Amino acid sequence: MAAPLLVQGQQKFTVSGYVKDAANGEALIGSTIYIKSLSTGVTTNVYGFYSLTLQSGNYDIDISYIGFASQSKALELKENTRIDIELQGEGKQLQEVIVTSTKDQEGVNALEMSTNRLDMKTILKIPAFLGEADVIKSLLQLPGVSTVGEGASGFNVRGGSVGQNLILLDEATVYNSSHLLGFFSVFNPDAVKDTKLYKGAIPAQFGGRIASLLDVRMKEGNNKDYEVNGGIGTIFSRAAVEGPLFKGDGSFIVAGRRSYADVLARPFVDVLQDGGALNFYDLTGKANYNINKRNRIFVSGYAGRDKFFFDKNQGFSWGNNTGTIRWNKIFSDRLFANFSGIFSRYDYSLQFGENDRDNFAWKSSIRNITFKPSFSYFANADNEISFGAELNYYSFEPANAYGTSNGNRIDISLPEKYNLESALYFGNSQRLSSKVSVEYGLRFSYFVGLGPGTQYTYNDTIPGIRRTAIGEQIFASGKVSSTYQNLEPRLSMKAELSDRSSLKASYTRMAQYLHLISNTTASNPLDVWTPSSNNIKPELGDQWALGYFRNFGKDQAYEFSAEAYYRKTQNQLDYIDGADLLINEFLEGDLLIGQGRAYGMEFYLQKKVGRFTGWVAYTVARTELKVNGINRNEWYAARFDQTHNVKVSGFYDLNKRWSVSANFNFVSGTPSTFPTSRYVMQGILIPYNAADSRNNVRLPAYHRLDVSFRLEGKTLKRNGNPRNHSDYWVFGVYNVYARKNPFSIYFTQGSERVAQGSPINSEARQLSIIGTIVPSVSYNFKF
Amino acid sequence: MTSDRLYKHILGVLALSFVLFSCEDVINPQLEEAQPVLVIDAWLNNAPGAQQIKLMRSQPYFENVLPPGVSGAVVTVTDEKGKVYSFTETEPGIYEWSPFGNEVFGEVGLTYELFVREGAETFISTSRMGRTTAVDSITFFLQPGGQFLDDQYQAEFWSTDPEGAGDAYWIKTFKNGKQLIKPSEIITAYDAGFSKGGNFNGVPFIAPIRRAINPFDEAEDGTFKSPYVVGDSVYVQIQSVTEASFNFLNQVSIQTNRPGGFSELFATPLANVSTNIENTNSKGAKVVGFFNVGALSGLGRKFKSLDELSTN
Repeated sequence: MAAPLLVQGQQKFTVSGYVKDAANGEALIGSTIYIKSLSTGVTTNVYGFYSLTLQSGNYDIDISYIGFASQSKALELKENTRIDIELQGEGKQLQEVIVTSTKDQEGVNALEMSTNRLDMKTILKIPAFLGEADVIKSLLQLPGVSTVGEGASGFNVRGGSVGQNLILLDEATVYNSSHLLGFFSVFNPDAVKDTKLYKGAIPAQFGGRIASLLDVRMKEGNNKDYEVNGGIGTIFSRAAVEGPLFKGDGSFIVAGRRSYADVLARPFVDVLQDGGALNFYDLTGKANYNINKRNRIFVSGYAGRDKFFFDKNQGFSWGNNTGTIRWNKIFSDRLFANFSGIFSRYDYSLQFGENDRDNFAWKSSIRNITFKPSFSYFANADNEISFGAELNYYSFEPANAYGTSNGNRIDISLPEKYNLESALYFGNSQRLSSKVSVEYGLRFSYFVGLGPGTQYTYNDTIPGIRRTAIGEQIFASGKVSSTYQNLEPRLSMKAELSDRSSLKASYTRMAQYLHLISNTTASNPLDVWTPSSNNIKPELGDQWALGYFRNFGKDQAYEFSAEAYYRKTQNQLDYIDGADLLINEFLEGDLLIGQGRAYGMEFYLQKKVGRFTGWVAYTVARTELKVNGINRNEWYAARFDQTHNVKVSGFYDLNKRWSVSANFNFVSGTPSTFPTSRYVMQGILIPYNAADSRNNVRLPAYHRLDVSFRLEGKTLKRNGNPRNHSDYWVFGVYNVYARKNPFSIYFTQGSERVAQGSPINSEARQLSIIGTIVPSVSYNFKF
Repeated sequence: MTSDRLYKHILGVLALSFVLFSCEDVINPQLEEAQPVLVIDAWLNNAPGAQQIKLMRSQPYFENVLPPGVSGAVVTVTDEKGKVYSFTETEPGIYEWSPFGNEVFGEVGLTYELFVREGAETFISTSRMGRTTAVDSITFFLQPGGQFLDDQYQAEFWSTDPEGAGDAYWIKTFKNGKQLIKPSEIITAYDAGFSKGGNFNGVPFIAPIRRAINPFDEAEDGTFKSPYVVGDSVYVQIQSVTEASFNFLNQVSIQTNRPGGFSELFATPLANVSTNIENTNSKGAKVVGFFNVGALSGLGRKFKSLDELSTN
């Protein structure tokens, strides 16, 4: 290189490239590239790419990733250099001792806070309900994440409702993350590479929900060898095939799951025989191709569906479909870009009526098309700038429905709604000194309602009374009916107190323009997503968090963190009593608007290496809402408010073939509304709360222990040669001591018929969704 | 479409798969104490004969005895033309108006005002008597059984909502002279459908309403009895209600019809049902209850033999 001698000392060059798993070519997200002599480093982005610009010179670079053997490389940097690195999984190292890099301390050193990453290895170890490893159920073992109970879909993060989580599967929004109500999630563990939950400090690149971001990335597929994974479990059978394409310049994975509830139920349930169905399935696929060193494309998709049909005319189904096309382009060693085109759709249908003269059918859907260019500019070792845009076009179909009554067919469809949500963002992750780093960003979001459509105006809220439309305005096709815009600042900072401890703080503002309309204890498949309008303002959430992170012990085997958060939300939705949320043109008249606040402390202690690994998470928190017309207009605890939440997960290798995992959960009682009194009207016993309270009582505490044992198949054949496939069994027990954990306590009159003039008996009943011990077994294989 | 109703429909299927694991126990939780409040049960209609208004007090939730009546109140109903109907106490808490000769209570289209003076407090409400619609016929049909269900004989009533949106009804069923009045048996209709948004106007009542007149009682062995057997009689009554009363009845259904099990996942929080009765002194004592003046129609039929079964 013809660099003039004069400036040779100041000349800067860039080292960049990809970090991959040596076994299968999968990009390693978040691996660390560290220059010891400068105490500086970077991590790979979600595509495994890194870029580091340094003064020319000689360096030792350490490349490390949890669960993989670290590598050191000597680098003579005198020109822009591309280094692609492949790391060996620790499993391949057999008896060798793994030297953990002293900087392999994700929690302490990383700038980000309020995040939890779960890799598939961990998810597969966590004892699962009916033995089905589950991405979302595993999240429930983390601090700050909770659920209203078994069978409930989704999850709650730091006091956010289920509809306030942004769930992305390869960047595509997943509107309903559940199979079979909420017992299982839609993600096939065979196809998932990485799961990261942001509970706060969400980068400016993301927006649209105010509580959290769950970023699920699919595997790319093995680009070296064909591989088949599969399993036979209590609920699902799974199979996944992956392998190289274009002689290793690309790869693919296709993974499917299907439940066999119907196969099992068929002998018992004869109502299913005539066109009936009772099953759920999902199919996940992805392919990628390296066009050249600077261009790579990915195509991925998901299709899943739950079907419950008595017969061919009666039943319901729901499902998500997503598709993502991505183009990674390295413009220069320092400018990495990705362009994503995304499609996502959630729909459900419901139909009943045995004949043509009397029936009912209803379809509903939400879909979006998104274009998302994003850029990372690795300015120098101290600044990583990200910027980009997002353009979403939504169409909502609340009801495409008709009913027929004795041969009279009536269309009860509601008009579709159209919206545009766009955003521009900018962020910089900046190292101010060797101890202090900041990340600041700004997102500008803009939301537009588009015609054709009708906007209603309603009278003012009178507590407890449905509002009626008093005016309407009709918009022609393409005309703008309402607009909202928000500036969403994001800020986080880290100060290293020592090699082993750091202090972090963050502030995040998020805006949410889509609202999940749900007034039931658990969210359910028929819940309607509805856009902001003249009557529904965007939800806004502000979160402040402060955290302390520390590693300790031999080899820094233990990681401890404590985080405190305060979250304030505006324009929260609640519902009048008796609200009619489905197929209701005047739905907005049944909504109430309020505000929320949530605060808490999360403690997390993890042991990451050794024969025994695991963690303890403890959260103490409060989540409250204040809504005009509910609870005398005073603050009340949200249904998912849990004062104390303790989770313990432990994994222990008994010997080379047997390992044991255990989970323990303790959750203090969630709130519920109990009556004080009763009265009788027209022969019906009506419960009454004299103080007009909401959530005035706490249910008994919830606690549960799950255990599972894993038996690895033999690695050698009888003749001593290695087997060419591997397999393992999982034997699980859920709710080991068969506790009848309360899901709810409800009040009702007795089920007996009461003669006129006789007193009516009232009673309280406690329901446990899982009130017994649930054993399971599954067999999993790979070849 | 009433969300509540839909969920319950769906959950029937889902419950199949997980019913093995769930369980339910009757418990006795401690409840907060509360002062009793005045309850006014004032549902009047234009049937021949006397009309009753009941005044009671609310009770602690688990007090399984008849509610205490409230005596000594002044109770009148006045129509918009100024006609006054005086209700006099016949038993403690029961206030009755008796007709002279063929006189009936009320007239379709008129608005009525309820006046109750209890102690120093005055409570008022208004209600308009809407039109009802005739029950044209009642039929019986066979619902073939299966592995879990025996053959069942079910009844269906046939009636058409008149042209013009905004009619609301409370449909009551009497089996062998006894009213079916479990919380799960509250049947309401808005025009010919379940809810205002349904837009089923001027057509026969939709099938789930026509067939809602069947009681499903469990037999000793846990199976469901046939709703009707030969020899039973059924009487269907359609009472017009105001939109406020319709909303009230739906709220009552949501709050009281708690089948338990998986439907609890989709239960809404316990909340007080509305009232259309107010204390003229807004700072005075609380009151609950409802005032509705409705027109009645009805038809009965006896299930005499299996030859009467209609083809479904």
